[in-house]
Amino acid sequence: MGQRRPESRAAMPDRSRLERRRLVIGVLCVLWFMCIAARLYYFQVIRYGDLQGRAQRQQQRTIEVAPQRGGIHDRQLNPLAMSLSVDSVYAVPSELTEPKMVASLLAPVLGLDGADLLGRFQSMHSFCWVKRKVTTAEAARVRDLNLKGIYFQRETKRFYPKGDLAAQVVGYVGLDDKGLGGLEFALDEQIKGKPGRVLLASDARRRTFHSTEWPGIPGKSLVLTLDEKIQYITEKALAEAVQRAQAAGGVAIVQNSNTGEILALANEPTFNPNEFGASSAAARLDRAVGWVYEPGSTFKVVTISAAVEEHLADPQELINCQNGSIVLAGHTIHDHKPFGDLSVTDVMANSSDVGAIKLGLRLGEDRLYRYVRSFGLGAKTDIELPGEERGLLKPPQRWSGLTIGEMSMGQEIGVTPLQMVTVFSAVANGGILFQPRIVHDVFLGAHHDALAPATGRRVISEHTAELMRQILAAVVDHGTGIPARLVGYTSAGKTGTAQKIDANRAYSRSHYVASFIGFAPTTRPAVTILVVIDTPVGAHHGTEVAAPVFKSIAEQTLGYLNVPQDNPSRWPQPSPPVPGRSLSQNRGNFAGLLPLDRGRPGVATSPVQKASYINGLSSDSSLTGGTPPTGGATSTVVLGDGPLVTVPDFSRWSARRVAETCEKLHLDLNVAGTGLVVEQNPLPGVKVLSGTNVSVRMAR
Amino acid sequence: MPHNPYPVSRAPNPGTQMATVAVTLPKLRRRLRSAPAAGRAHFPEFYFVKRIDNSRLVREVDLDRRRELFSLLGLGVLVFLFMLLFAWQHFQCVRNGYQIEQLKAERATREEWNHQLRLEQASLADPQRIDTLARVRLGMVSPKPQQIIRVGGPEPAGVLSSSPELAHNFPASSGEPQHEP
Repeated sequence: MGQRRPESRAAMPDRSRLERRRLVIGVLCVLWFMCIAARLYYFQVIRYGDLQGRAQRQQQRTIEVAPQRGGIHDRQLNPLAMSLSVDSVYAVPSELTEPKMVASLLAPVLGLDGADLLGRFQSMHSFCWVKRKVTTAEAARVRDLNLKGIYFQRETKRFYPKGDLAAQVVGYVGLDDKGLGGLEFALDEQIKGKPGRVLLASDARRRTFHSTEWPGIPGKSLVLTLDEKIQYITEKALAEAVQRAQAAGGVAIVQNSNTGEILALANEPTFNPNEFGASSAAARLDRAVGWVYEPGSTFKVVTISAAVEEHLADPQELINCQNGSIVLAGHTIHDHKPFGDLSVTDVMANSSDVGAIKLGLRLGEDRLYRYVRSFGLGAKTDIELPGEERGLLKPPQRWSGLTIGEMSMGQEIGVTPLQMVTVFSAVANGGILFQPRIVHDVFLGAHHDALAPATGRRVISEHTAELMRQILAAVVDHGTGIPARLVGYTSAGKTGTAQKIDANRAYSRSHYVASFIGFAPTTRPAVTILVVIDTPVGAHHGTEVAAPVFKSIAEQTLGYLNVPQDNPSRWPQPSPPVPGRSLSQNRGNFAGLLPLDRGRPGVATSPVQKASYINGLSSDSSLTGGTPPTGGATSTVVLGDGPLVTVPDFSRWSARRVAETCEKLHLDLNVAGTGLVVEQNPLPGVKVLSGTNVSVRMAR
Repeated sequence: MPHNPYPVSRAPNPGTQMATVAVTLPKLRRRLRSAPAAGRAHFPEFYFVKRIDNSRLVREVDLDRRRELFSLLGLGVLVFLFMLLFAWQHFQCVRNGYQIEQLKAERATREEWNHQLRLEQASLADPQRIDTLARVRLGMVSPKPQQIIRVGGPEPAGVLSSSPELAHNFPASSGEPQHEP
């Protein structure tokens, strides 16, 4: 026993010491865990909301994504307006260590005033724009500077790739992508779309590792009824005319006579919507709808249409023009030159004011007013363009004794160019007044908005419209509209020269509005064209100033639209073929004219006789030679002098190949359709004279 | 038998399984609390060694416990693998997130480039530019009306028709070609 005591005395203290140590460590551990748990509880429960918010603010940011603004296209889907994402430069002034240096570096790169920029840095604390919507080159140069506190923000910018083409129609947008003019303004709600959001989760180095998108709704795109080629033709012709006449401005409209669709709408002066801030308000004005003028003699079409429709006048009926003057309500109104008896047609052709007043008097105030309203004057056309004026038209109760006479010749009434072109279209298309339209389609992807169909109402009978077309054709044929005669096409129209009202509210003797409104071809009108020149200097009559512009626009437009020519008599006449000369020699007389001669009835294409063969049997088998053509088609074998050519088999040939072959064989070619040849006349193998017409029909 | 400076006593104690081995403790520098204080007598310490022969003992395998052990081990491995998988997935997810964002940015850049090209194409197709190039650089002139050959059948092609007609829109289900915005 005595030997075990030292052991127990030595071991016991160690054990207790160990146990105490264990206990201490255990307690420390427990305390440690408790501390951690308490801290965790503090962070995870008590301060959860606050810390969660702070973490989210650090790691996540929500960015509003500007919606893609819808494009604007012409009827061939050529873009007239489109949006691109560009950089905007902004600064966080509190992060700028040396604002003066930063301002001095940025100012020359971005084309800004350094002092102004520095002032903005010093006046703001957390955010200030340096320059919005910079170019790619400017953004690259700013990036290269690598300045602390300078950041970039993506924004969309509107671009107008065709520059000033149809600028007043398309319009323009401000810095905040809000439409400020034209269709950009009128249809802003549909074009602009709705913004989306993106939630970005970033790491400590601000690198995004996750994003959640709530996509916005892109804006709808517009398809206009305009055709950019016709628009260009019109703008160019108008600009030249305005420059030539040193006029204050002008407007030209090309309208589809049969639907009311606007194919071109040109204004002068104009502006570049990419830099609309540099333009004047006058340049941004869409005169077609926002300018009211007195139509002058072009209004006579309403007066005479009404008189003819009411059977109060006949185109051939003679009107005594009283040697060019008439007294009305104590006022004497003079014609521009004295006329005696004129037919109603000649009243229009010679633009006799006295004749028009007499017809207006026959109608009476109420009927004239009713027809004026019926033609849509004095009311908005409700075209999609903004800023449309309704014009000036007093009700008969407010008319003076002179008004009926003044109005009959186009004074004391204010109209917009769009109203007038619509009136002429109604006459051109057979008496139906169509609502003018400039928006053809509004779409987003595959979804197309249901637009109200073009509405039209009959304002005069078809017979009256036909008579009016003849009357207006006479204006161009032998009246004041001779400069509006077209090469290859018939045309009809009316000149107008209206005095402007001066500052004293009297008719000016120096300021005029010259106009011409017409359509072509006369028999089956395709387009109605209005040209109005405001305040020309020097020559100021519609005949001299506006009619040639009509001619220029109409000839190019009808050719572009592939409208068949209906008046070959107005081509430059070639010398007649010389007897005894070969066809190829005679072809020289028709240089430049032959293509139009082909297959046109009544036009002698070549001095040769024709004979036909039926069912493949020629009237003279010696001429056909070889295998007679198959099929039951009726073909033509041309008999006469000159070398014979065997017609090749053009089946499945392209137009180019056919044209080249015909050129080599000295055959004239008449092509119909597109694609590859599916039919030809004469049939393959037929021997024909050199210079014979060969017709091919092509299909895909 | 070699001399052992520390005698080992063999105290039979069959009731205990603990083996005690006598060892020589190193000399402590500090005086232990159990050591005699200065001036006191030093008593030798005795340690008892009990030799136990377990060679005849056969350890009985407790299958239940082994199964339990393996189950626990398996479960632990599973949990570990699951956590490993979870962690791998998490990091893979983050890595993919970076990759996706990079690709998104690339797609946006390419779309923007596409838009820029479209804009450039539209600018190059400006009729005024083409007209100027044709007239100035190529010396072309406008065709005279008598030089125009109409191709495309009896009716005017394109935007016009010769008789009045109502304009129309394409209904959504009409199957008409879609416009590219």
